[in-house]
Amino acid sequence: MSDAALLARDTGRRLADAEARGLNATLHWSQELLDREAARLDAAPAGPLTGLAVALKDNIVTTDQPTTCASKILEGYVSPYDATVVTRLRSAGALIACKANLDEFAMGSSTENSAYGRVRHPIDPDRVPGGSSGGSAALVAAGVTAAALGSETGGSVRQPAAFCGVVGVKPSYGRVSRFGLVAFGSSLDCISVFGRTVADASRTLCAIGGHDPRDATTRAEAPSMRPMPRSDLRGLVVGLPREYFPTDLHPGVRAACDATIALLRELGAEVREVSLPHSAFAVPTYYIINPAEAAANLARFDGVRFGPRQIGPDGDVRALYQATRGAGFGAEVRRRILVGTFVLSAGYADQYYSRAQAVRRLIGNDFTQVFASGVDLLFTPTTPTPAFKAGEKTADPVQMYLADIFVAPASLAGLPAMSLPIGRDGGLPIGGQLIARDFDESTMLAAASVLESSLDALQEVR
Amino acid sequence: MIIGAAEVRHVARLAELAVAEADVPTLATQLEAIVAFVAQLNDVEVPAGAGAIAVGPDRLTLREDRVDPIPMSRTPAEMAPAFRDGFFVVPKLGGLAEA
Repeated sequence: MSDAALLARDTGRRLADAEARGLNATLHWSQELLDREAARLDAAPAGPLTGLAVALKDNIVTTDQPTTCASKILEGYVSPYDATVVTRLRSAGALIACKANLDEFAMGSSTENSAYGRVRHPIDPDRVPGGSSGGSAALVAAGVTAAALGSETGGSVRQPAAFCGVVGVKPSYGRVSRFGLVAFGSSLDCISVFGRTVADASRTLCAIGGHDPRDATTRAEAPSMRPMPRSDLRGLVVGLPREYFPTDLHPGVRAACDATIALLRELGAEVREVSLPHSAFAVPTYYIINPAEAAANLARFDGVRFGPRQIGPDGDVRALYQATRGAGFGAEVRRRILVGTFVLSAGYADQYYSRAQAVRRLIGNDFTQVFASGVDLLFTPTTPTPAFKAGEKTADPVQMYLADIFVAPASLAGLPAMSLPIGRDGGLPIGGQLIARDFDESTMLAAASVLESSLDALQEVR
Repeated sequence: MIIGAAEVRHVARLAELAVAEADVPTLATQLEAIVAFVAQLNDVEVPAGAGAIAVGPDRLTLREDRVDPIPMSRTPAEMAPAFRDGFFVVPKLGGLAEA
């Protein structure tokens, strides 16, 4: 048996185990497809990702598996083309393992909004893995795949990475092609990666990045993302934005952050306090811009072009749209479409949408000023608490939105950011966040690698 | 109070989204809470001339204006009730009258 065939068999066994454990992290996979992937790899030259099995969040399209976005409205939908990232993963030698569960259309922070059931946290099944890329995070944390692709609109990879104790990296906006990513918030969406280690996440990101003529927002000329190996953090200035360390921060999160800050100093970094005053408004800003863009993007799901169709009571085409969308979208998607439509509607667009665009600019300006003052990287907690219990926040959408308070600002500013495991509290992982200058993934990944080897926090998730 | 039952119905109509009458009160409460939460942005001091942020490249590179064949996951023959020699077969208009 070839190495690829062994990897396909091993991945299949791990996927079956995860399913038997009730993680509910996958929406589609089969041994037959895994074996087909292995045969393809056997016939191709080796690449930088040879030997790496990668899970795909199920809002990234492939021709050989359905793409549902965890929504009933796309049940059974198969794309006629592959996403650019899928083509790039394959040509780099990766084995595509499965389609991973997510919050419906990537709307959520707990992966409880999937039409196909919630994803369980790999350590404590009563808890959530975070979201919206919770299936991808759980698969990597449970050791099913070494890496996975997710997508970020406002922290949907960094937040679950923190909850599950794995590495999650969001690149700069415009770094990775979104051709074949089902659009949600177009001014925010970034395909992002999970890895068991910083090295696995880095090499996966490097393999999928770069200009794509099929996505006009990808930058044609960009500096390399490849981290330059370093042994310490001497010469780096790390800023601690005081707004990200509120007095009511969870004590376990604070303790892990304090220990990491001490380590940053020990490793030679110059650590200084900075201020990003408008970050406090990131969540309300995000929850205007995101629903507005979502309402526009999701207008295409109308029962005519994709997925199953419901014939409305009046039998006309508008009744068909309304009935299909009414039956096909889950509660959170409906809420966002309604909020988005409201903030864009006549009489309210200036008060809400234009205002949010202006505040978004202020949030971005804060980052520009801090980086212009000589700061190379920012360090913050990734989330205010470790993974919370399932059902804890589902009745109150605003409480759920606040789980993204530390991750939303970098998304609004389009900056590269990542979460890496920095400790545990009561057995639950805690993530620390690094944010870098626009298109400076290289510095961020190199520093994360130094921190990772010093933190020794990457314990086997059981 | 900004959002009541009437606003929910109005916005649902704009969004082409069927909403069951029984769900309207809960949606009104939730939307009201969300809109009240995001309304805190009205307290932010925005300097005059602070325009909207622009993410992404300064200039979009456009593709060549060329029409390529559209990829399809299934062939037209598989999707149509009847298909012959590259054409969709439809009932004759006269045939409809007979039916």
